[in-house]
Amino acid sequence: MMKALLTSYFVFVFCMVNVFAQNDVNVMLIVRNTGIKILDNGDTIRVFGFAENLGSQPDVPGVTIYANEGDSVHIDLFNVSQGAPHTIHLHGLDVNQQNDGVPQLSFEVEHMDHGYYHFKAPHAGTYLYHCHVESPIHVQAGMYGLVIIRPSDGSNTTWNGGPYYHKELSLFMSEIDTVWHSDSVLNHPYDTSLAVTPAPLPIYNPQFFLVNGSSGQQLIDNSVELNTQAASRNYIRLTNIGYYGNRVILPTALNSKIIASDGRSLPQVEYTDTVYVYPGERYGVLAEADIEFVDSIKIEYFDLNTYAVKGVEYISVNVSGFNSVEEAVNSKNNLSVSPNPYAEKAIITVKIVAESLVSIQIIDVKGRLVKDFENAQKAAGIYTYQISNYIETSGIYFVTLSLDGRVVETQKLIKK
Amino acid sequence: MKKIITLLVFGCAVLSTRAVDVSETLYINRGEFVASDGNAFAYMAFNRTQNFAKENAIIEVGVDDNLELKIINNDTIVHGFNVKNYIGVDSEIQPGDSITVTCSFSSESVFVYYDSYNYPNNVYMGLSGMIVVSDNSFSKFYWNIKEHQQTYNDTIAKGYSVDWQSYYPDYFTINGESAPNINIDTKARVTGSVNETIYLYITNTGQSIHSMHFHGYHLEIMYSSKYTAHVGRSKDTFPIHSLEGLVLKLVPDKTGEYPVHDHNLVTVSGGGIYPMGMFITMLIQ
Repeated sequence: MMKALLTSYFVFVFCMVNVFAQNDVNVMLIVRNTGIKILDNGDTIRVFGFAENLGSQPDVPGVTIYANEGDSVHIDLFNVSQGAPHTIHLHGLDVNQQNDGVPQLSFEVEHMDHGYYHFKAPHAGTYLYHCHVESPIHVQAGMYGLVIIRPSDGSNTTWNGGPYYHKELSLFMSEIDTVWHSDSVLNHPYDTSLAVTPAPLPIYNPQFFLVNGSSGQQLIDNSVELNTQAASRNYIRLTNIGYYGNRVILPTALNSKIIASDGRSLPQVEYTDTVYVYPGERYGVLAEADIEFVDSIKIEYFDLNTYAVKGVEYISVNVSGFNSVEEAVNSKNNLSVSPNPYAEKAIITVKIVAESLVSIQIIDVKGRLVKDFENAQKAAGIYTYQISNYIETSGIYFVTLSLDGRVVETQKLIKK
Repeated sequence: MKKIITLLVFGCAVLSTRAVDVSETLYINRGEFVASDGNAFAYMAFNRTQNFAKENAIIEVGVDDNLELKIINNDTIVHGFNVKNYIGVDSEIQPGDSITVTCSFSSESVFVYYDSYNYPNNVYMGLSGMIVVSDNSFSKFYWNIKEHQQTYNDTIAKGYSVDWQSYYPDYFTINGESAPNINIDTKARVTGSVNETIYLYITNTGQSIHSMHFHGYHLEIMYSSKYTAHVGRSKDTFPIHSLEGLVLKLVPDKTGEYPVHDHNLVTVSGGGIYPMGMFITMLIQ
């Protein structure tokens, strides 16, 4: 009996280890400071950046680093550029001092040297890496990229046990001031005998406003867009590495809600179609349209000293409908509320297609729980719940349906 | 006997948390701000004595304490006094005159007090500080962050107007200091040990929005004067608007020296030179 129990235990542990295997993720980043970037008006500028291999030129932004929560990530930074040394700061990943990338507090990587950075992938979320040597100059020069940590199982969920999404879109904002890309600025003084070398900074007055390194027509040419379907859940990662603020205005029909920031879930979901993203911040937004439409995400870039909007970019949004009734049923429509708006009573109808842990909640616009209807294992079938006097105040509420711990559907509910 | 001891212990506990009367006197002083590169420009501050110092006084009170604040205008022009997000204390003070205001704060928080006269010129010239409201006994550190455009200070000091739509500050400070000197300020430089609870009180008394990024750790928002719904968020980067306050909680999980700086990286400069700006380090041992 004891032997059988022990065997079962070890089989279970072995299976669990393999289900969520913690892998080694090895990344090589080649530093170059002679990259060329083509701007939206056809002009070219010199950039610094991270290339994926010795045969390629750096792109702006650099390659995105992906890992799963719990993975051991090892980055080999190979500096093949002449001039000042470089580092990578792992922004938001809360690494130890040695791996933090601030040259005077850890180490810097000289020409033709390798620097090795190691970290264990923390909470699933959106993070950054960028050079921290003469950081105002090197970041503006293009030395930045995203780090995306997925849940332990690598699934399309926002974090372990978090909401599922069908599609993901990263919008990574920055600006370009072409003056900062002149040789006189990029070839700044650097004295390795000093903790930090003083360097003059030009007035910052950017002329180009980037999303994922593109602006204007480039965004269309490079397919920086959200193409999705009604009833599909989209996870939009918003990141700002520029020196201006971003006001991201999403189409109202996307029914957006902020669920995460800086690699952590929010204690209270924020329902909004406008997200402010300040330098160094990241936000995770779940967006799910009920209807077919064509619109755009508007991104304003505003000066943090004067609050004046200095640039605007648009990301096209195309939400298509369903191809068939079957597709619509399979995709969604598990949750309905009728009548809606309602005055005194309404009925929530839930269709469960397979046995699941079912949770149904009503929350208000500030994300506060108003009523917890159900939280139990339910067989496949159709279930109804009556809303009567749980809501006293007129306004907008949300009914959420969660299956096995994941929010799969949300309906807006209006109390008259 | 046991009951008496219990009552005594309870009585002591009540006494230790009871609101008290706090009296403070602030002088409005005019002087000169000497930046990290030696450049100097006109400046003003609320100080506890008649002698000008570029750092505004930090006032600390407990929750529900009765704060009686006497403000003496030690200058030659009219000034004002107000507390942001607090009703009933907005006042004018004639040259050489004084006023007394009383306030009480009902929860742990941080407020900005400032010169409300001729807004925003007087507050921009330096007349703005913080009121910390706290009953906790954790380690505390204080950042009054601000930016300055040298030419604007000298222009306003001469009585002329400036164009705020062209504002482009060239000095960026925490408690009136920039890197590297700010690390000497023991009120500002976060020091502590692993697993210690540390509170950080931040006000932005400048005109710009600042976006403070912490290396090494996420911190929890305990209070936000502008966005109350943000309380409880765990973040590494914290935008802070003009005349707003934040209280953050840090519980370090590892040792090390980690920077904090505005991630609008232009602010990590002074007089146009990197890195003499808004850059400080935390030391966890």
